[in-house]
Amino acid sequence: MNQIANSDPAVVIIGSGAGGGTLAYELTAAGIPCVLLEAGAFIKNEDYHNNEWEAFRQMAWLDARTTSGSWRVAKDFPGLPAWIVKAVGGSTTHWSGATPRFRDYEFRAKTTYGDIEGATLLDWPITLEDLAPYYDKAEIAMGSTHRHGRAALPANNNYKVFANGAERVGYKQYATGPYATNAEPYDGRPASIQDGFNFQGDKNKSKWSTLVREIPRALDTGLLDLRPDSHVVRITHGADGKADAVLYVDKDGNLHRQAAKVVCVAGNSIETPRLLLLSESNRFPTGLANGADHVGRHYMRHMTGSVYAQFDKPVHMFRGETMAGIIADEAPNKPERGFVGGYYMETLSLGPSFLAAFVEPGAWGPEFAAIMDAYANTAGMWIVGEDMPQASNRITLSGTVKDQWGLAAPNVHFDDHANDTAMRNYAYEHAQKLYEAVGAVSSHRTPPYPSTHNLGTCRMSERPEDGVVDKWGRAHEVSNLFVSDGSVMTTGAAANPTLAIRQAEYLAGALKAGNL
Amino acid sequence: MKTTRRRVLLSSASAMVAASVGTRAFADIALDPGKDEASRQLLARVVRVAFPHPNFPDSAYLRTADTVLAAANGSPAQRLDFAASLYDLDQAGFAGLDDAAALAHLKTLENAPFFRLTRATTVVTLYDDPEVWAVLGYEGPSFDKGGYLTRGFNDLDWLPEPRIEEYEAAQ
Repeated sequence: MNQIANSDPAVVIIGSGAGGGTLAYELTAAGIPCVLLEAGAFIKNEDYHNNEWEAFRQMAWLDARTTSGSWRVAKDFPGLPAWIVKAVGGSTTHWSGATPRFRDYEFRAKTTYGDIEGATLLDWPITLEDLAPYYDKAEIAMGSTHRHGRAALPANNNYKVFANGAERVGYKQYATGPYATNAEPYDGRPASIQDGFNFQGDKNKSKWSTLVREIPRALDTGLLDLRPDSHVVRITHGADGKADAVLYVDKDGNLHRQAAKVVCVAGNSIETPRLLLLSESNRFPTGLANGADHVGRHYMRHMTGSVYAQFDKPVHMFRGETMAGIIADEAPNKPERGFVGGYYMETLSLGPSFLAAFVEPGAWGPEFAAIMDAYANTAGMWIVGEDMPQASNRITLSGTVKDQWGLAAPNVHFDDHANDTAMRNYAYEHAQKLYEAVGAVSSHRTPPYPSTHNLGTCRMSERPEDGVVDKWGRAHEVSNLFVSDGSVMTTGAAANPTLAIRQAEYLAGALKAGNL
Repeated sequence: MKTTRRRVLLSSASAMVAASVGTRAFADIALDPGKDEASRQLLARVVRVAFPHPNFPDSAYLRTADTVLAAANGSPAQRLDFAASLYDLDQAGFAGLDDAAALAHLKTLENAPFFRLTRATTVVTLYDDPEVWAVLGYEGPSFDKGGYLTRGFNDLDWLPEPRIEEYEAAQ
């Protein structure tokens, strides 16, 4: 592995997930050495556990966090606002793999939806046309099924219920993908063995993650200096206002300084703004790149919910790929439904361990027990749609709670927007109708889990006063500071590494031209 | 703490009647219920009433009770509250109540720290038990068995085989 001196001003990437891992690969492949700092450990596929709680304890980001707001997560899981991964590969190691693209109007949310009270909608500074070639590259890299010649995954039991229900209620846009897990061997990785473990990490390596593709390839270039267990606590800047180094803590609590010519932050939408807020200075008294007061604001988590339906015959939803089933009929914007934006329906399965914890948090007694007793005859789906950005939904630094390094913990404040609630209720009703159409004897509306899709807290904007970064992810206020994760998403339609590939191309060009 | 328990008892007529026939004196309180078999059995009964599954074996409920007792082994104040709560249940004759009466009694304790800890621990313990998985029809770790590729990932036969391709591609 390449070793870059701490005193050598390097391209420094913070976080190794969908954004940072992809950026590290694309840059090293273009001949640019990088330091990749990852707060979590280097956990390999063979280390994963086929057990929900063991895997959770192994992989999840469990550093101190707090919550506020009217969202139910703040009541049921006050210390766990988000379920994301702290390990090399980031949350790509536990994502399920659904890869639908944005729709063109979703880049023009404000223009399309108009003024929505309480929402801070904004049009993106880029279009679907700008992104289309990078979507192609991302889908080819991930091996998305149904795309670029990749075969579809077969129907598993949960999908059979889901797809038949879809057909009976008149939906047409259902399929087992696009889904970034191999149906056939591809790109040096084997076909799925349908083992049913996705959120626990894929031991079989059939599912795309930066852990199985981008990071090993970046290491193979000889240009990547990967440092796991390296938690960045501050980005510093010089008298010129440009970032000049990052300070990080190793697993023993020792502080290190890595000099930097470019800093790319990809810590997911809670840690990324937290780090910028922690990096306040005399010059940037409210946090780095936060002169316009948008760092941490407009936090989005997608409108989500789940429906679990019970049948009088076996389903065994846990057998097979968790989310290899997508319905897109409700994805278009049809305001006559009583809300703007749209949502997808996707198959979802939890084991008894997680179902008990999440199906109805706080519940007990005979009704709860009946849901669990029906486990083998249960089918499940997730609903996931666009939520409204709101300035008051935001990441701030806790005034009281500290993390294990003594640094202010992030607080995640969230209130559902009326549009989110209307969409969720509509989606619940239609999910239940779908299952009733194939004979469900009962069904349960499960509230949103701790957030897996965290978005928008360093949003991209045309004008510096409207956001944190420009159309390349470059901070409006700090010319060599980039944000390289879903924090840059101006509005919430969907998420994957597409933006990082595009940013890498731009960065490589700028570095080679000496423009940074 | 004592005030809370007294209020809980006073709020439940059935518990008051039951309390009057209790046989143990407060001096008998088990300060370390984790080492007291009667406390363990009583707690297992609490867990079964709160999460009633006729098909689950007693062994699973006892394992969960042990985990709850371990979780309750915190500060002296927490340990005392937990021990006193079990004592109150014993005094209330909880072990002798039928399912409906026992459930009604637990409802009066729903917001007590004792019950909240028991519920929260049970939810992540009872259903994370391989013996319980077998009863529920969940097959647990699968990678070492080759996944479900040849073990029924698509064996559902009470619905037609659906299309897997996208709509446009299938036209």
